[in-house]
Amino acid sequence: MSPSPSATTAAVEARQLVKRYGALAAVDGVSFQAMRGEVFGFLGANGAGKTTTLRMLCGLLRPTSGTALIDGIDIQAQPLAAKARLGYLDEEPFVHPHLTGREFLDFVADLYRMPRGVQREERMSRLLNLFDLAKKDGDLIGSYSHGMRQKIGLASLLIREPSVLLLDEPTNGLDPRSARLVKDLLEELAARGTTVLLSTHILEVAQALCRRVAIIDRGRIVAIGSMDELRVQAGSEGANLEDLFLKLTAGPESREMIERLLDAGS
Amino acid sequence: MNGISALRVIVGAELRAMRNRLLKGNRTRLVALVIVLLLAIPFLGGGTFTVGATAGHFLPFSVDPLLSAAFTGLSLLMLLIGFPTVIASLFVGRDLLQLVVAPVRTRDIFVARLVTAMSANILISGVLLAAVLGLGAGAGAPLIYFPVALLLIAVQVLVVTSLQAILMTVIVRWVPARLARDVAAAVAGLTGAALYLTWNLSLRQTFRRTARPDVSGLTSLVQRIDWLPTTWPGHALTAIASGSVAVALVWVLATVLLAAILVAMAELLYERTLLVGLGVFGDAPAIWRRRSTVRPSPQPYPLRGEGSPYFAIARKDWLGFRRDVRRLTRLLPALLLPVGYAAALSQPARSLSGFWSNAALITFLSMFMASALSLPSIPSERRGFQLLRMAPLSMWLLLRAKVFIAFPVVVATMLVFSVAVAVISKSGVAQLLELVVLGLWLAAGFVSISVSGGAIDPRFDATDDRRSVGLVGSLAAIGGSLGFAVLSLGALALFLFGGQAASGAGNLGPIPSTPAVGFAMIFGGVALLAFCASLVGALLWIANSRLRSFEASIAST
Repeated sequence: MSPSPSATTAAVEARQLVKRYGALAAVDGVSFQAMRGEVFGFLGANGAGKTTTLRMLCGLLRPTSGTALIDGIDIQAQPLAAKARLGYLDEEPFVHPHLTGREFLDFVADLYRMPRGVQREERMSRLLNLFDLAKKDGDLIGSYSHGMRQKIGLASLLIREPSVLLLDEPTNGLDPRSARLVKDLLEELAARGTTVLLSTHILEVAQALCRRVAIIDRGRIVAIGSMDELRVQAGSEGANLEDLFLKLTAGPESREMIERLLDAGS
Repeated sequence: MNGISALRVIVGAELRAMRNRLLKGNRTRLVALVIVLLLAIPFLGGGTFTVGATAGHFLPFSVDPLLSAAFTGLSLLMLLIGFPTVIASLFVGRDLLQLVVAPVRTRDIFVARLVTAMSANILISGVLLAAVLGLGAGAGAPLIYFPVALLLIAVQVLVVTSLQAILMTVIVRWVPARLARDVAAAVAGLTGAALYLTWNLSLRQTFRRTARPDVSGLTSLVQRIDWLPTTWPGHALTAIASGSVAVALVWVLATVLLAAILVAMAELLYERTLLVGLGVFGDAPAIWRRRSTVRPSPQPYPLRGEGSPYFAIARKDWLGFRRDVRRLTRLLPALLLPVGYAAALSQPARSLSGFWSNAALITFLSMFMASALSLPSIPSERRGFQLLRMAPLSMWLLLRAKVFIAFPVVVATMLVFSVAVAVISKSGVAQLLELVVLGLWLAAGFVSISVSGGAIDPRFDATDDRRSVGLVGSLAAIGGSLGFAVLSLGALALFLFGGQAASGAGNLGPIPSTPAVGFAMIFGGVALLAFCASLVGALLWIANSRLRSFEASIAST
């Protein structure tokens, strides 16, 4: 786990967030705080409610009840002010396939009313170089691989230096070198005061990067805290995050199921 | 898996998928489709049969040129209009990848997909069937004529589809299959639009004619193309109708043999095309791949000051339009209709003549242009819409940006057209100015209404712009535009006649031409304009509310 940040102000706060689709509660009373300069992990199985929570936090979904605050600003009450402070990267980044990488960065910078000029151009070039996209900056994004789209999506967040980053599986589809780059980058950004809320399936990434994690299961937070606090909650001393996750989400025993399946086939 | 069972599995899956699309899709669309089919079959089929029967009865010596021309014309139509379906079925589609990696022979894939590939051509051949059966009935052909006609039309469909497959195996060596499909779809769309336009305009002329039909031109044309294999089924049927069994047999055998050769060639070339990794794998040849690298476009504005979301959205849309062949090619047929109609109807011989005729044409042109350009402008953002929602900009700004992007294009077209009709109809400068003012007002209204329609019921997941707006949005746009057009023209009439009445120079029938009446009419015009503006405002307000409350996820398309 990375060292604890010194700041104590909540940069992201979910207060009793609920999202219902008819009778189904996709998110059911989720509350947590991510502090300024913290990398906060948000873990859960497929369909547990991670993406729905992140989308409520970034204003793409309106909560059925509850409040989402970014830097203390209610995103439903003051959407423009809250959105100006945050950057959200979806699992499948929202990109325009008919723009080149550089044109896309320019587009996003203009959407956020960033001052034009040499500084902006230089920052774009630096980001394209950092993500190894400089040689491809004249190619249409439609011709990019999934990993390259992920990288241009990340670059489009970093071009404008938001104070809060909400990232849904940011290392998804990245090669090992790029995944390492993203991890280092997130650590560095957190050290400089950016809050990162990270949703991931890769528990090693969460364990290495996050000071605290929240585990969500069937729309509810089942555990929250540092590794030590999670071990206490699960009553498993010395367990790693994977063991804790499996214990806290109480899924079916996969080994037993695999054996049953293979036995049935033989 | 043997050939027959593979064929059964693939075709069965295709049929199940089609059933699911129909039954689990939009119910309203299904009902509309059934109604259209129920109306179209008796109207189109019955009409064509009657025309064929009349021609066969009154022109018995022209049966051969008529049949040859029908087979040739419809074959050409199938070649143009059915091409996108053939490409989509045999060369494009991720489901095809699954078949390629499965232990199924390429021959079986070809045969199974050929059934789907022929679907558009089979639909088109329905028209040919009605005409050919009608001709036979009218000419008093023996009973054997009818089953043989059915057989020959089926063979002709196979010939054309195989020819399309052969052409495509050559084309994919230079052009990616998806691009070829998009271009073919544009050609098909343009052909369809042009045919509809020609038919519609010639129908107007037909009702004016009093002369007897003359097929001498057709006869000489058929004599020139008599060597074409597309005329062979026509010759066969003519021989049957005239009782020459031996001659008929020769032509039928020649047609069937040609079909067999073409199918075999198509299968062989298709197999080789898949084996070298073209077509379904979408491996763009080097000659094309170089084109995917584009020189970044220069900034349309000086690199100073704060970034502007307006310009960013406008520039992005412009670049997207320029580079997205599919969007561009789908827009062309939509634009051909209004421009074609307007150009044809503005001819002195055809027009209603006068200022009101020109005003009606400008209304029609602006409405169609605005609809084609603006209706899909918000849904065409697709997943990029989420990017706009996350940015610190209001949906109201997005709506304004989309209106300002389409407005100049519609106005420019309308201005060119206004000047053209004013010159042709020898209108004065004053009338030209009135037309321009009317055009500007209409363009602003229609573009705003169409953008709103797209925003009220967007289908962000749609891959085709033509299906990117739902029924509610389409009805809002059409209804709003029609209402706006009627009210605007009404206001214009009140202004013009009110002005005449106020000056005492008007001739308004029983209505007295007094200043009081004139001012009352002008006031009525102002009220209508205010109503128009409030209609546009209401639609924009609904659109803004709908976009603000939009929260469905948008699939990656």
